Amino acid sequence: MIKINSLSKEYIMGDNKLLAINNVDVLIKEGEFVSVMGSSGSGKSTLMNIIGCLDTPSSGDYFFKDNNISSLNSNKLAELRNKEIGFVFQNFNLLPRLNALENVVLPLLYSGKNSKERNKLALNALESVGLKDRTHHRPNQLSGGQQQRVSIARAIAGTPKLILADEPTGALDSTTSLEIMKIINELNSKGITIILVTHEDDIAKHASRIIKMKDGKIIEDKKNVSN
Amino acid sequence: MSLTDLIYLSQKSLRSNILRSVLTSLGIIIGVSSVITMISIGSGARQEVEEQIERFGSNNLIVRSQSSSSRGVSMGANSVNTLTLKDMEALKEELPAISAIAPRVSLSTQIVANGNNWLTSVTGTTNDHFNLSNWNFELGRKFQEDELNKGSRVAVIGKTVQKNLFGTDSPIDEVIRINKVPFTIIGLLEAKGGTVWADLDDTIVVPLKTAKQRLVGKKFPGDQIRSMTINVSSTELLFKTEKDIDTVMRKLHKISANGNPDFVIRNYAQFLNARQESSRVMSILLATVAGISLIVGGIGIMNIMLVTVTERTKEIGVCMSVGAKKRDILLQFLIESLMISLIGGCIGIALGLGVIFGVSEYFNWKMSLDYISLVLSFVFSSSIGIIFGFYPARKAANLNPIDALRYE
Repeated sequence: MIKINSLSKEYIMGDNKLLAINNVDVLIKEGEFVSVMGSSGSGKSTLMNIIGCLDTPSSGDYFFKDNNISSLNSNKLAELRNKEIGFVFQNFNLLPRLNALENVVLPLLYSGKNSKERNKLALNALESVGLKDRTHHRPNQLSGGQQQRVSIARAIAGTPKLILADEPTGALDSTTSLEIMKIINELNSKGITIILVTHEDDIAKHASRIIKMKDGKIIEDKKNVSN
Repeated sequence: MSLTDLIYLSQKSLRSNILRSVLTSLGIIIGVSSVITMISIGSGARQEVEEQIERFGSNNLIVRSQSSSSRGVSMGANSVNTLTLKDMEALKEELPAISAIAPRVSLSTQIVANGNNWLTSVTGTTNDHFNLSNWNFELGRKFQEDELNKGSRVAVIGKTVQKNLFGTDSPIDEVIRINKVPFTIIGLLEAKGGTVWADLDDTIVVPLKTAKQRLVGKKFPGDQIRSMTINVSSTELLFKTEKDIDTVMRKLHKISANGNPDFVIRNYAQFLNARQESSRVMSILLATVAGISLIVGGIGIMNIMLVTVTERTKEIGVCMSVGAKKRDILLQFLIESLMISLIGGCIGIALGLGVIFGVSEYFNWKMSLDYISLVLSFVFSSSIGIIFGFYPARKAANLNPIDALRYE
C-alpha cells in the first residue's frame, strides 16, 4: 500500500539545512498496524505528514497505492486525504464551534456527499466509537477521551483505508489511553491500515510492527512478537 | 461542498463573534444608508420640481414690469408699470409660438364678507389665467364673455379665502367687498396647496376690466398692466421664445440690445431647475460620504478577515487535513465576507428607510424611494464584500496544510 524509496526531507532554517528525513526506504502492506517510534526530532512526525500527503518530500519517491504522490497537485492531494486517509491528532483538532456530529460530517462535506448520506455515515462512525448519545455536544462539553473518540469518528467517517494517528494518547490519562487503543485495534481488525506515531513503549506494543527512528533514519524495523 | 453547507459554516463562525461581525459591517451600514437616502433625496426633489411645474403650468413664461434704472434712479419694483396691453397684443401677433397670454393687474387689500375681514391679493385678469396656471374649479364657473367686456363685479376666490371668510360653506352667490366695492362670487378654485414661498390658494380673481375700473385705476392707468403669463405651444420652443420675447419687447420699448430692460422674463422651468441643482449638490455630498464609507467599510472587512484567517489558521489546517481543497477554503472565507457585507447592507437599507421616513415626516421634505436604490445597495455591498474579501480568502486558501496545522 505504501512504498517509500530513498526519501529525504530537508528544512532550511536560516543558514542551516536540517535533514528531517535522511534517505528512508519503507514498505507498508495493506492491513498492517505499524508503530513509528523515536524521540522528538527523530523525523517520525515528518515521515507521517509525508505519508498523510500533508507535506511533500524534498527528494525520493512515495507511492500510495501505486500512485506517485510527488506528481499530484494540491487538489488531488486533498482528494486523497479526503477519501483514503484519516487523521487522529494528539490534541484532537476538532473545530470548536461545531458539535460532535458536525465535526464528524466535515470530511464528508468536502467529498460532496448529500446530507442524508452524510448524516448516516457520521452517525455510524460516532456509534462505532460509542458516542451516539453525544452527537450534539460541542468539543468543550466533552472530556478528552470523548473528544479523541470524536476525532477518530471523523477519521473513519469517510471509510478510509489508512489511519494516521500522531500521538493519539499523548494528551490522555492511561485508562482513557487504553480505551482509545482498543478502538484503534478494532479498526485494524476490520482491515484498516494503521500507522501510529508515539514515543511510549506501552502504546507502541499494540502494533504488529515497530519502526524506530533516530536522526531522520530508520534504525530498527521489526515484527512485534509480544502481540 | 454545496452553497448551503458553505453558508451554514460561515454563519456559525460569524455568530460566534457577533459584536465583531456587526462592528465590521458598520462602514457598509453607513455607506448603504447614505446611498439610499441620497437617491431618495435626488428623486424626491426631481418629483417635486415636476409637480410644481405641473402646478404653475408647464411651458409658461412670465413677463413683469421692472423699474428701469437707466437714468440712475431706481424707482422700486412696484412704482412703475411699464407693460401695457398693447405689448401683449404685439407679442401675440409677432410670435406664433405663443399660444395664449394672460394679463395681470394686482393689489393687496382688505376683503370684508360675512362680517369677517381678510387681507389678500386680488388679481385682475382674463379666463386665460385659469387655463395657463392649471386652475380647476371646485364650484361655480369662469368669467363669461360679457362679464369680461362690461367689467361686471364678479369674483372667483381661492380655497384659503373661502376658509377664512365663509368656513366650509359654499361661497357661491355670496357678496364680498373688495375696497368697499361689492362683488358677487361666481367660482371657487380647487386647492393647489402651498409652496415654500406662498400660499397659492390665498387669492381672489376678478375680470381685468373690472379691476382697472373699480380697484386699481390709479395704480394702473390706461392699458398698463403688472405682468403677463405667456404660454408657449411646446417645451422645445420655450427658450427660443424667451429670447424672441426679449427682442420684441426691446423693440416695442425702444431699448437697445445691451441697454437695461424695463421688464423681466421669468422662466419657471429654469427657476425650478436651479432648485433641482441644489438638491443635486446635496446628493453629490451624500454620494461622497457613501463612497468613502463603503471603501472604508470594505477595508474594515478586509482587515477583520485577515485577522480571522490568522486566528483560524490551525482550523484551516484541520479542514485541509480532512480533505478541503483550496477552492473550498477560498469560497468559505469569501462567503463569510460576503455575508458580513450583505448583513451590513440589509441593516443599512433599514436604517436608510428609517432616515427617509423620519426626514420626510419631520421636515416635510419630499423623498421618494425607488427600487433601483435597493437593488443598487445590494449590488454595492455584495461587491464590496467580494472585492475586499478576496485577498484574505486567497491568503487562507494558499496556506500550506502542514504549516497551517502546526500553527499555534
